[in-house]
Amino acid sequence: METKFRKSKSSVLFILVLSVLFVWLDSCNLRPGACPEVAEYYFRADATTQTMPDGKVVPMWGFAQDSEFGKMDGTVSVPGPQIAIQSCTQKVIVHLDNNLPEPTSIVINGLTAQMTPVRYPDGRVRSFTHETPPGNPVSVNYGWQVARPGTYLYQSGTHPAVQVQMGLYGALIQEAGQKLAYPGQEYDKEGLLIFSEIDPVIHDAVAADNFGAGKAVTSAIDYAPQYMLVNGKPFMSTDPVNNAGNVGQHLLVRFLNAGLLTHAPTLYGAHMTVIAEDAHPYNYPKQLSSALLPAGKTLDVLITPAFPGQYAILDRMLHLYGPGKTVMQRYLVNP
Amino acid sequence: MIIKILRAVSWKTKLVFALALMTCGLAANAHTGFQGITGPTFNLTVKDGYISTPEGGSIYTWGYAVQGQPMQYPGPTLIVNQGDVVTINLTNEMPFPVSMVFPGQENVSVSGGSPGVMTNQISQGAGAVTYVFTAANPGTYQYHSGTNPALQVEMGMVGALVVRSATPHQAYNHPDSAYSREYMFLFTEMDPVIHELVETGRASLVDFSKYRAAYWFINGRCSPDTMAMPNDSWLPHQPYNAMPRMHPGEKMLLRIISAGRDLHPWHTHGNHMLVIAKDGRLLESAPGAGADLAELNFAVTLPPGGTADAIFQWTGEKLGWDVYGHSPGDPLQPNEYAPDHGKPFPVVLPDPKDTTSGAFYSGSPFLGAYGFIPPGSSLMNLSAGYFYMWHSHKEREMVNNNIFPGGLMTMLIIEPPSVVIE
Repeated sequence: METKFRKSKSSVLFILVLSVLFVWLDSCNLRPGACPEVAEYYFRADATTQTMPDGKVVPMWGFAQDSEFGKMDGTVSVPGPQIAIQSCTQKVIVHLDNNLPEPTSIVINGLTAQMTPVRYPDGRVRSFTHETPPGNPVSVNYGWQVARPGTYLYQSGTHPAVQVQMGLYGALIQEAGQKLAYPGQEYDKEGLLIFSEIDPVIHDAVAADNFGAGKAVTSAIDYAPQYMLVNGKPFMSTDPVNNAGNVGQHLLVRFLNAGLLTHAPTLYGAHMTVIAEDAHPYNYPKQLSSALLPAGKTLDVLITPAFPGQYAILDRMLHLYGPGKTVMQRYLVNP
Repeated sequence: MIIKILRAVSWKTKLVFALALMTCGLAANAHTGFQGITGPTFNLTVKDGYISTPEGGSIYTWGYAVQGQPMQYPGPTLIVNQGDVVTINLTNEMPFPVSMVFPGQENVSVSGGSPGVMTNQISQGAGAVTYVFTAANPGTYQYHSGTNPALQVEMGMVGALVVRSATPHQAYNHPDSAYSREYMFLFTEMDPVIHELVETGRASLVDFSKYRAAYWFINGRCSPDTMAMPNDSWLPHQPYNAMPRMHPGEKMLLRIISAGRDLHPWHTHGNHMLVIAKDGRLLESAPGAGADLAELNFAVTLPPGGTADAIFQWTGEKLGWDVYGHSPGDPLQPNEYAPDHGKPFPVVLPDPKDTTSGAFYSGSPFLGAYGFIPPGSSLMNLSAGYFYMWHSHKEREMVNNNIFPGGLMTMLIIEPPSVVIE
């Protein structure tokens, strides 16, 4: 009994030392393969532009991942960099740098954090959590406990009606293990599809400081997106077909809706097995060919094709019409 | 001329006319309350035409049709048997390419036509494209155009596919899916501005970001035409109705199809339905377990592209009174809810001089019974049944171009046991 106690004490100490060592090693980028208990990222909110298929250059806001605060060596992208944490990681920290003209922040829907909302003088909530002011001299830090593996959406928590649709969103994923989406749910290939939209009128107004009370565009109430995005890009029929592996293999597709509209990803050629919603696995997975993906939702599905050929996922809400306006992804399954 | 006259008569008159015809027992196909064509080979084409809406509107529409027959909205309901090798030969009479895709079907092989984004498509007069698949799983499905789907689906190119199970009157080869009557409820919507632009050659001006539907349909008809007869002469492009009728105690199967581009919460007003399947798959915890994950809902909202099957039953249970107005010693009616047998009606009926009658009130609160109706009231309830309004729970969808009542709505009629249905 005494020996056991001593053993466990020493093993606790050992784990502590190890984890400190791993965190240190990880922060020095010496051991990228190590499994850190805490995963830290340096994110920067910044402005960028994206060119649509019709030539329209749309002002966007996005996140970039820098190597350290102030270095600004990352590329701003919409959606933002994917945060893929390892299965042992229990805490995520984002050090935020803000190059936007207004305060911003980052929240991860479904992960627990200590939230300290910021209010306007009249009491209305402006930010779900503490803000990072523009041009902050030191990083402002955000931390989350990760209690369960799954697919999560991160986004701006400040003035979200504007900032989220400007492009401040991205995905955080944690696997349950190697090629394991959730306990008992193995997969062979993986895809991640973030749905969102762009209303260029609002983007132009925000970029020109013409958005807000008393300005040209007063709010997002007339939101009427002209572009539908998957992973930040409109679908073109010339886009390459994704390789989904072979017949009988499991393709894991993580669906996230970072937009303001409802989307309905519909699979043609097979049923999908919906295994989880908002990072919570279902007790009984659902067999569907069409899934409802409201704003803010994440769904994980497994597709196990029985036949070779091309499979399409179409947003059956059919929001827009014209070249580059259909929301689709195609997968090729080999024999 | 006849069509004009018929359009001019009120929808109430149309309904009485339709119900009178139905009560006479015109239809064939016992127990099946929806219309369609049987396979396994279908020769279809795409053409245009004008559909009618009950407030007098006329909307330019593209649709699938049986070759040589008028354009249909929705396209023909394709009825096949489980295991059938289904062959669909599609030609095209429109000056743009078209195609068909079949969500929920596996291994659809295609020949002819030219490659499109989702599947092969066919141009006007260019022969046929042929789709072949094995209807491996029973259930309720849909098909629609896979070419420019946002525009072509809006313009009307959708339809239903029903795969019958090997077990008669079991939708999914399991007793949990057993039914004695079945009806179809296929939902769509239309923005008439888009149809006008397309009709007048200004399709390039269509802006879907400003989409604003003004018509909502069940099986291609707006209420109250949903309750008119199938194949009515005044609706040549909208042959399908949606007029569910049943006797107490029967099991009605609802084949629900979300074929448009929006969400339409389907509300079985005053009652629940047991949703046993979605997208052609029984809601089961394990293969063969039956519908043990079925959901008891009073509104079911499907994503576009989705389908559901629900079992609906009505006995008068939980009303707390005898729907036949029996005395305790009277014999039971078939499938009567026995615990309420002989329980008195809990309301003292007001003097008819103090009331007005609803159109569906027979003059008596009891099923199959008639009573005094004030002069001038219209009796639309010929068999003294109970009427329940089934409709989209987005209430604004119960209009025809802003005129109430209409849109995505119909009536369920609980018929007295003595009334012959079909």
